[in-house]
Amino acid sequence: MRSLSSLKSLSVLVAATLAVTGLAACGGGSDKSSDASTATSGTVNWWGWTPTDTATANGYIAEFNKKYPDIKVNYKLVNISDWVAALRPALASGKGPDVFDMQPGAYVTQFKSFAEDQTPLAEQALGAGWKDKIAPIGISGLTADGKLTAMSVGSVYAGMLWINGDIFKKYNLKPPTTLSEWQHVCQVLKQNKVGCFVQGAAQEGFDQDTLQSIANSVQPGLWTKVSTGDAKWTDPGIVKTFQIWKQLFDSGIMQEGAVGYQQYPDANNDFLTGKYGMVMMGTWYTQYATGKAMTAALSAAGVSGAKPFPILPIAFPDVAGAGNTSEMYGDADFGLAISTKSQSKAAAETFVKWMATSTEGQQAIADQLNDLPSVKGVTPNFDQIQLVDAASQKGPVQDLITKAASITEPRESLLSSDVQNGILAAATSVATGKASPEDATKTLQQAAEAAGVTFK
Amino acid sequence: MTATTTRVRPERKAVVQGSGRMKKPPGLPWILPALVLSVGLIYYGIGYTGYISTLNWDGLSPGAEHVGAHNYTRIFHDPVFWDAVRHTLVFFVVTFVIQTILGLAFAVILHAKLRLAAIYKVIVFVPVVLAPAIMAPVFRHMFAPDGELNAVLRHVGLGGLAQPWIGQTSTALPVIMFITIWEWTGVTFVLYYAAMTQVDPSVLEAARMDGAGNMRTLVSIIWPDLRGTTVALAMLGAIGALKTFDVPYLVTIGGPNYATEFLGTYIYRMTIPLSHVGYGAALSIILLVVALIMALALQFAGRERKGR
Repeated sequence: MRSLSSLKSLSVLVAATLAVTGLAACGGGSDKSSDASTATSGTVNWWGWTPTDTATANGYIAEFNKKYPDIKVNYKLVNISDWVAALRPALASGKGPDVFDMQPGAYVTQFKSFAEDQTPLAEQALGAGWKDKIAPIGISGLTADGKLTAMSVGSVYAGMLWINGDIFKKYNLKPPTTLSEWQHVCQVLKQNKVGCFVQGAAQEGFDQDTLQSIANSVQPGLWTKVSTGDAKWTDPGIVKTFQIWKQLFDSGIMQEGAVGYQQYPDANNDFLTGKYGMVMMGTWYTQYATGKAMTAALSAAGVSGAKPFPILPIAFPDVAGAGNTSEMYGDADFGLAISTKSQSKAAAETFVKWMATSTEGQQAIADQLNDLPSVKGVTPNFDQIQLVDAASQKGPVQDLITKAASITEPRESLLSSDVQNGILAAATSVATGKASPEDATKTLQQAAEAAGVTFK
Repeated sequence: MTATTTRVRPERKAVVQGSGRMKKPPGLPWILPALVLSVGLIYYGIGYTGYISTLNWDGLSPGAEHVGAHNYTRIFHDPVFWDAVRHTLVFFVVTFVIQTILGLAFAVILHAKLRLAAIYKVIVFVPVVLAPAIMAPVFRHMFAPDGELNAVLRHVGLGGLAQPWIGQTSTALPVIMFITIWEWTGVTFVLYYAAMTQVDPSVLEAARMDGAGNMRTLVSIIWPDLRGTTVALAMLGAIGALKTFDVPYLVTIGGPNYATEFLGTYIYRMTIPLSHVGYGAALSIILLVVALIMALALQFAGRERKGR
């Protein structure tokens, strides 16, 4: 009897303990006021989808550690397709990163409440006139509700194509400037059993790039107008954009099965392994103009002993035939945000300040060619950058960087997740023939209105 | 077994008769830890999901808006939801039928006296223990436009059949079903194999003496005896179809153009990338209700036949 009674008491105790520990677990992570670091020592956990290879990130960290050897920075690369899924619970639980990448647009909307306001940090680092010292594109997109959610590290621009220089040279091809020339290039490559253009059309961000480029060929500035609600997605220019998008599939420019491809890793790997001659990527691809980054990327793609080849940026062809040079567009690629729940805020601020505002940090960013630095006046040092084939690449790469510096058209910062999802649905339904461009744009307009975009 | 039962029962009776206080059923303290965990983790989770389903909420912001049953009414007008339901039904019927045929066939064949039967059993069962996350890249590669399947087709002169299997809406769902069948036929096989060992040999012998051939014996003697196993497999298959997430997410991400969207992938898409946590919760509740109805219906169908 006593043993039964004891067991009963024990069971109640166990149950109570479980309940209490469960509640304690639920409440865990709320007290994050303490700071285990100082401005010169501590551990900083940095999560990002970019730099897209850890070697580049570790290169930045190595430079940082030359000045701050007692701050250990751990970089965790998260694929962009898993970014939201990984970061949301991490930040909410308080067990996530101290520093995390932030991009204008949907990410700022989703994660602004977890980001410290970095205005004081910017003022401290660059003085009261800090806004004049940073590229404007890196401030506006990362500001929300009057708060600077992240310090822009660098910017990226899209709207161009990258070609495999060796393939174009081998088959004596010129970069296409019109839709018909593009088709011709693809015909020649296909006759030689080489893929022409590869796109991960299953990923919205990259479909948007191609669509925005087509739209800029149809009517420059129209894409921005519909993004802000100054024009509707059913505008004839957008319908025409989707018609040309469909032509890319029907005329054999897009690879077979493009709507089942991811840009990363599928299209990226296929281009870097030489299976295709062209790909739609932005200025972040400039890094693969260097032998070091391309070798690392080839290795990451599972190719051992592959020989790096020169990649070259070319203007997006005038696919509408309207005589418009398709302009580039861009955003802050990534700012670095500091988590409100970080326990290493002092060290995190030192790292962010060094990356985003110091000459050394920005020079490291510039020289990696992954981003264009956000601090004005810092440019890549081409005397120290080893391109795969400097003779053919140096001119186009320098021209690209010069041209990008004057770009003001936004890339993704004006679009919410819902609108981006609507664009992907419209793009894939048109590509697969499930909807006409007219019907797809009507559905897209409805999706944008449902997402709260106000149209004039 | 019988001896143990008769020894325990009088003890229990004695405890109950011992004192007035001990007359209360003593089960509660014993099940309390499990009850706390179960109610705390599962039923609380279901209840909380039900509550969230009445909100317009991104899962993080403090200001969630109460919208009542609006999320549910939206779901019934959502074409992607109905696509997901349709895919689930097709997926269940096709995978269940083919797995049943294959599992039964393997079980029958391996009940015959084959050499190296143990190795065949392992080969059939191995896919069950391989994680979909490991196999997904393999299948993505295999079914890619320049993948192994198309290479084989071209090699044997069937290049006309080569196509981007997971890159077009017409073939993406069949690929997902193929992978699932490959993965789970081993379970069907093992259960049928075990069930067949329970068939009374004298009945089989009598059938033989009456002149029944192999097929007749299988259809008229063995198959009816396997009914319980088939119902259990149908129930597992139906619930598995409703829960399907890993293979379509890892191989096709629910695409192209929602061609392989299932309830599980759609819940994830709405909840995580698009941050419509309230809407995703409403989808989850609907999934739960459908799973319960399906399980009850299949169980009821099994019992009804048993009673006849």
